Amino acid sequence: MWCFILAELLVFGVFFLAYAFARTHDVELFNASQLELDRTSGFINTMLLISGSYFVVLAVHRIRHGHSRACTRWLIAAMACGAAFLVLKLVEFSGKIEAGISMSTNTFYMFYLGLGFFHFMHVVLGMVILGAVTLKAWRGGYHATDYAGVETGAAYWHMIDLVWIVLFPLIYLLN
Amino acid sequence: MKAATFNWLILMALTALSFGVAEAGVAGGAALVPVLLATLFKGRIVIDRFMALQGVGGAWRWVVLGWLLLVLGLIGYAFQYA
Repeated sequence: MWCFILAELLVFGVFFLAYAFARTHDVELFNASQLELDRTSGFINTMLLISGSYFVVLAVHRIRHGHSRACTRWLIAAMACGAAFLVLKLVEFSGKIEAGISMSTNTFYMFYLGLGFFHFMHVVLGMVILGAVTLKAWRGGYHATDYAGVETGAAYWHMIDLVWIVLFPLIYLLN
Repeated sequence: MKAATFNWLILMALTALSFGVAEAGVAGGAALVPVLLATLFKGRIVIDRFMALQGVGGAWRWVVLGWLLLVLGLIGYAFQYA
């Protein structure tokens, strides 16, 4: 899993730097387009992913002590944060599409929509992984001496959070 | 678990700080330094505390921390100098 996570970080890193250096060719366009974004939505989404990561930490802590039910509850709480994130992103994307904005509108929106959708799909995958881990935990499949699956799912979820922690200021805040 | 809760609150506070800087209309280098430093600190908390890589043997922690430092450093360079 860690090799997979590092490969994911590498890909996101390349996209982030491509955005940062593409911006240098047309700073005014990037700044003007960025002002059209819903910064508050990005802020709430950041809070949701951070809280989801925190709940996953609590889930790992509970299973370490053999509390399978409590672990399940915290994993469900983390997935609820992920689901809320996805709903907010869909609202954000649909607003842009309704306004006639697409990836071909300009270079900024190519990165905004491309990076946003790429990360969106990772959150979906993270929820699928957490869902599988939650189901197994609910059935009592993890114990205080055997919880590697929970840790693996947690590591992937934290990677998604880490990537968003860089993506949020890069796309929404810095100008 | 008190440590995890404390780290979560720090992450929320740093996010609010970065958001507040942008909402206040601060731009350019004046926003770049605090926002990137807050992002670096947040990333380190996630890597060391949430991913629990601090104290793990081998190069895993330094590879992930190196990724964060390199990406944020180059973003800072692109925004400030390029």
